[in-house]
Amino acid sequence: MPLHVNLYHEVQRQELARRRDPLRLGMMGLGVIAVGFVAYYFVVLEQAHEVTTQYEALQDEFSKLDPKAKAAKTREDELNTEISASDTLVKSIDSRFYWAPVLDQVLKTVPRTVQLTHFSGSTPNSASTTVNTVEITGISSAIEPRKEAEALRTALNTRLGTQFDGVNAMFKTLDDSDEIVMLDGRRLATAAFNIEIKLQAKDPAAVAAAPAPARNPKLVAAQ
Amino acid sequence: MKLDQEQIKKIALASLLLVALLYGYFEFLLGPLQTSEKAATNGIATVTPQITDAKKQINRTSQLEKQAPEAIALLSNLKDTIPDGEPIAWFPPKMTDFFKSHGIDKCTTHLVSEGTDPTPGLKRMVWSIDIPKVGFVPLGTAISSLENEEPLTTILNVTIDALREDAEYQHATLTISTLVKS
Repeated sequence: MPLHVNLYHEVQRQELARRRDPLRLGMMGLGVIAVGFVAYYFVVLEQAHEVTTQYEALQDEFSKLDPKAKAAKTREDELNTEISASDTLVKSIDSRFYWAPVLDQVLKTVPRTVQLTHFSGSTPNSASTTVNTVEITGISSAIEPRKEAEALRTALNTRLGTQFDGVNAMFKTLDDSDEIVMLDGRRLATAAFNIEIKLQAKDPAAVAAAPAPARNPKLVAAQ
Repeated sequence: MKLDQEQIKKIALASLLLVALLYGYFEFLLGPLQTSEKAATNGIATVTPQITDAKKQINRTSQLEKQAPEAIALLSNLKDTIPDGEPIAWFPPKMTDFFKSHGIDKCTTHLVSEGTDPTPGLKRMVWSIDIPKVGFVPLGTAISSLENEEPLTTILNVTIDALREDAEYQHATLTISTLVKS
């Protein structure tokens, strides 16, 4: 077996030591990390650039939209004021109580044996109530004038009840009278009466409900 | 493997340099970048709903613009039916003419009171109309026409009394409120 003598072992040891120099290895490691950091920086830079660009675009869009939106808001307020005024007016017109149908029904109900001397009808002043009051004063003449007056009260209740809600006719007074009247050649006894009727327009809830944004006022055809 | 004095010094120096570099990297490069990105993200989160709201507002107004003309025209038409000038000057003659056109020759109109109305630009005036002699049927017809032809007028009170001297006729008093320009 040949014998080899390595005369370069010193050189080789130094070369190995140089290659395993921790400082050199550390610097190489640091270099790799630095490259990673730089790469990461560029990734973050790109993301930030994208987000910033998007933000600037949105800001630009908002700066164009904002004055338009403010103008639109002002216009909306104006329109709402006008629509609200129109609605209030329509509501006020729609919620009117019509007296002509009441007069019509009274005319149709009163028989020839009854003479009315006074009629008064009034709508409530307060908006909280929709009950209207009618007061009728008159003289009924018949063999039994009280029955005649009662028949009138019942007839008023029934007839007005077909057109109005909450109709309630009550006698305030009903007194026999000394007066005797001649009707169809007959002498008839009389009774003086005073009837109070409470009534309200049909479906007040619908009248009080908020109306649609734009509609024409209804006009109830009074007879 | 043992480090000599020189290598330890180099490692210590390199470590210091590394710390400085890391500090500089995070503090002066990555930090501001992330801060600006965060600010932009927050800005987007703020601006996006504002843009949505602005678009909604514009859209809402545009929808309202389509609905409004009818309501505005109605209000305008109703207001146009009210004559200009002092109501005391035109309303009593108007009522006299109205009742005359229904065969009621004589009536007197007096102002009772005036007040505000929720409708902008309008006020409410209450009048008393005295009709000394009228038949029940012509009166009913006139009231019916008044209620149908004058939407701005409301009859608050109707009083009818039989005339003692002429049983065919009545004495009527109407209390009516009407809207006039304020």
